[in-house]
Amino acid sequence: MSTEPQNIRNFSIIAHIDHGKSTLADRILDFTGALSARERVEQFLDKMDIERERGITIKAQHVRLHYTADDGQLYQLNLIDTPGHVDFTYEVSRSLSACEGALLVVDCTQGVEAQTLANVYLAVEANLNVIPVLNKVDLPSADPDRTRQEIEDVVGLDASEAVLASGKTGIGIKDILESVVKKVRPPTGDPKAPLQALLFDSWYDSYRGAVVVVRVREGTLRKGDKIYLMATQREYEVTEIGVFTPHPVALAELGPGEVGFLAANIRSVHDTKVGDTITHAKRRATEALPGYKEVKPMVFAGIFPTDSVDYTALRDALEKLRLNDASFRFDPDTSDALGFGFRCGFLGLLHMEIIQERLEREYNLDLITTAPSVVYRVRLRNGETVDVENPSRLPDPGRILAIDEPFLKVTLHTPATSVGVIMQLCQDRRGTQIGMQYNGPDRVILTYEMPLNEVLFDFFDKLKSASKGYASMDYELIGYREGDLVRVDMLVNGEPVDALSVILNKEKSHKRGRDLASKLKEVIQRQQYEVAIQAAIGGKIIARETIGAIRKNVTAKCYGGDISRKRKLLEKQKEGKKRMKSVGSVDIPQEAFLAILKID
Amino acid sequence: MNLAVYVHFPWCLQRCPYCDFATEAINPSRIPHARYADAVVRELGLRLDALPPGARARTLFFGGGTPSLWEPADLGRVIAAVARRGDLQEITVECNPTSLDAERCARWKDLGVDRVSIGVQSLRDEHLRYLGRLHNAAGASLAVQTAVRSGALRVSADVMFGLAEQTIEALTEDLRALLGEGVEHLSCYALTIEPGTRFGELARKGRLPRLEDDRVATMYEAVERTCEDAGLGHYEVSNYARPGATSRHNEAYWRGEWYLGLGAGAVGCTAVTEDGRAGERWRNAADAEAYCTALERGEFPPAETEAIGPETRVQEGLMLGLRTALGVDLAGLAARTGVDPRVGREAAVARECARGNLIDEGVRWSIPRSRWLLADDIVARLF
Repeated sequence: MSTEPQNIRNFSIIAHIDHGKSTLADRILDFTGALSARERVEQFLDKMDIERERGITIKAQHVRLHYTADDGQLYQLNLIDTPGHVDFTYEVSRSLSACEGALLVVDCTQGVEAQTLANVYLAVEANLNVIPVLNKVDLPSADPDRTRQEIEDVVGLDASEAVLASGKTGIGIKDILESVVKKVRPPTGDPKAPLQALLFDSWYDSYRGAVVVVRVREGTLRKGDKIYLMATQREYEVTEIGVFTPHPVALAELGPGEVGFLAANIRSVHDTKVGDTITHAKRRATEALPGYKEVKPMVFAGIFPTDSVDYTALRDALEKLRLNDASFRFDPDTSDALGFGFRCGFLGLLHMEIIQERLEREYNLDLITTAPSVVYRVRLRNGETVDVENPSRLPDPGRILAIDEPFLKVTLHTPATSVGVIMQLCQDRRGTQIGMQYNGPDRVILTYEMPLNEVLFDFFDKLKSASKGYASMDYELIGYREGDLVRVDMLVNGEPVDALSVILNKEKSHKRGRDLASKLKEVIQRQQYEVAIQAAIGGKIIARETIGAIRKNVTAKCYGGDISRKRKLLEKQKEGKKRMKSVGSVDIPQEAFLAILKID
Repeated sequence: MNLAVYVHFPWCLQRCPYCDFATEAINPSRIPHARYADAVVRELGLRLDALPPGARARTLFFGGGTPSLWEPADLGRVIAAVARRGDLQEITVECNPTSLDAERCARWKDLGVDRVSIGVQSLRDEHLRYLGRLHNAAGASLAVQTAVRSGALRVSADVMFGLAEQTIEALTEDLRALLGEGVEHLSCYALTIEPGTRFGELARKGRLPRLEDDRVATMYEAVERTCEDAGLGHYEVSNYARPGATSRHNEAYWRGEWYLGLGAGAVGCTAVTEDGRAGERWRNAADAEAYCTALERGEFPPAETEAIGPETRVQEGLMLGLRTALGVDLAGLAARTGVDPRVGREAAVARECARGNLIDEGVRWSIPRSRWLLADDIVARLF
């Protein structure tokens, strides 16, 4: 039997990275008795190691808790954890729309950050009841009054009843739960209406196939039901229904307002689109829930095995990662320089880094990743339009009428002292300022429209160093605009190395080409022969650097007592060479392919 | 099985700032000449007994440290013990100019020593001071003359290049002077900064004046020209000899043969299997007191060991052989290890040959002399 909607509360937690979301979530689990003492591994909701190391959540999770409130009633609380990074904005918006309320957790030693703000707006848009929580009140540098003021000024929420809490000491956890019961409205819905359930997360399980997490809006979902996914237009039979408490518990049904998971022999997570509506196959809902959108990768990069024998291992590893990541895409690719590999699509740079790190760490692969590129929309003279994800595949300039590039609306939150430097940075990155708002005397919100291309090239690190680490950023794609773009090719000993080609704004192409050539000179070791590094635009050389030949690499003495040590040194040299890619007769290290990210 | 026997003498009068060998500065009156010789003779017995039968010593080399400090009578007892276990074709003693005189040369001759290797390093006082040596240029010349005049000793000199402030002119003049004195073998080493030495420390702190590698390479080429013009053959990366005057002991290392190391801090590498394909390398602990004590109890001295399998022997065979003009005898290496070095290296060999880095004569690989300066890079590609 499902719980009556008036005794259900669905809520999520919105917080900036490091503001203590996961610790707070653990305290809530603790308080409601969901975890035994032995299970109180810190931050239960973050499953993956990488997430825990980086302190961010990649996959959303849900957990059903039971709480007897001061009014004497037993409530079913569904805590829905959301991913916490700009790359996953759409997933966040879907998770939020599965809730009626949200806790806005603000570290009151830090104040409101740009990322938090973006998610609060998403929550407000989704019409959630937002409860401010001032976290880390136990720290000496905590300033709850100021934070409360900031929440009112910046976010525009009434913070007079904000809950003071500390995930570390457990202060305020009960107050949070009481607020959830009192201030978050209960869900509504008719258990007899045609089924409408929002799919907001999924993962791959090798026994069950893709398992999806749903929020039932209308109707009742039962084990054995034939269901229909409205966006993918496929039918399945539900083999299992359950919830996490946080342990998986099987259920017979989910009624309106409830959150849980279902398995239905769905082969791949790619058939479970986040935002899709699940209804019954026979008695379909007349319309899908609003807000569905196809998620498309925004950033592309080539991933190649350093040693071509690892190609199959790389493909297997990518397939395994894709099983659990519906927004990750890859296709076979070949490069003259790097051989056989894959062109991979990511939601953003963080997503790319995570995938790359998992490939190297979990699958022990030596990889070369090429510089990330956006998808350019190239309009040809013959009227066709082609999408170009790989700079080396840009059509011949003679055939190109115009190149359009993706633009972002970038929101920057910065201390007032850094505004000048950051405005300069944005201007350098072809940004157009569309807004500037003071948030109290020393915080500023800047809004810019900027090409994604410019954001890819180390913008985030530059932003951090310009603001001594205090600025934060959020972005959203706002569409394509025509750009004055050219492709810069890099030649090594006269041979173009396709994997080093980059598409750049024409005005900056000469300087960046020169900088790239000199960066390559730095990272490519001296070889047995002189190596020429050239940058070229359309066959015209714009920069040249020469790496002098190495003249001496030999041990002076090699007698009986030196042999083992010397052999080990040579083994190390060989290992080092294995991690490089030989292009022509030149050994190019991995970092050379990302050199474009390291120039000013 | 032929054995190259190396005896380490772990004491010097003073430690040189660039040296990372197992040696300790000692007041000469405190050197335990006889006790150390007894221990070495005992170790020889233990080691030989543990080897497959038929192992014969062919060359004997006293290195160090400064073995020329060793009391000739005690040195002689070691020579006699080794000679009884083989038929020695070459007996070399490393010397410092300060511990070499006519009398010592005469005693050594009587003991069967037929080769001396003198640590001249340079014939310039300023370079000798930079290197922290005890001798001066005049002393070095005198030592060389003394050894040559003693007759019956083949004389080799060690020279260092790549020193800060050293010019090519000064270097080649030194070489010509040594050759003029009658030296028939030269070991010319580029100064190498080893971690853990005084020079290593200074270099780490950026306080050691040094020459750039490119300059050192140019000097290397000047050394080669000078020696060849004088009629010496360049037979190993750092070694030059008149015809017939090569170091047979060192040639055994470079052929990848087994060698017996004796003494505190000595390294040896001998077969552990009957077929001689797999072996073990050991490094005796550098502590001379612990070394002597163990042997006095009839035990092996404390040592670190490393198994040397056939694949490792092949790698080492390539690494060593490719340092020499002769190159690597592929059939010989295959026979010794049971592993054909050609298999699995076809592509790498073809590539290095195409680049002019390797000569493949089918039965033999060698690196052309013009590429010896890059030998480590080339060998690493063949590993």
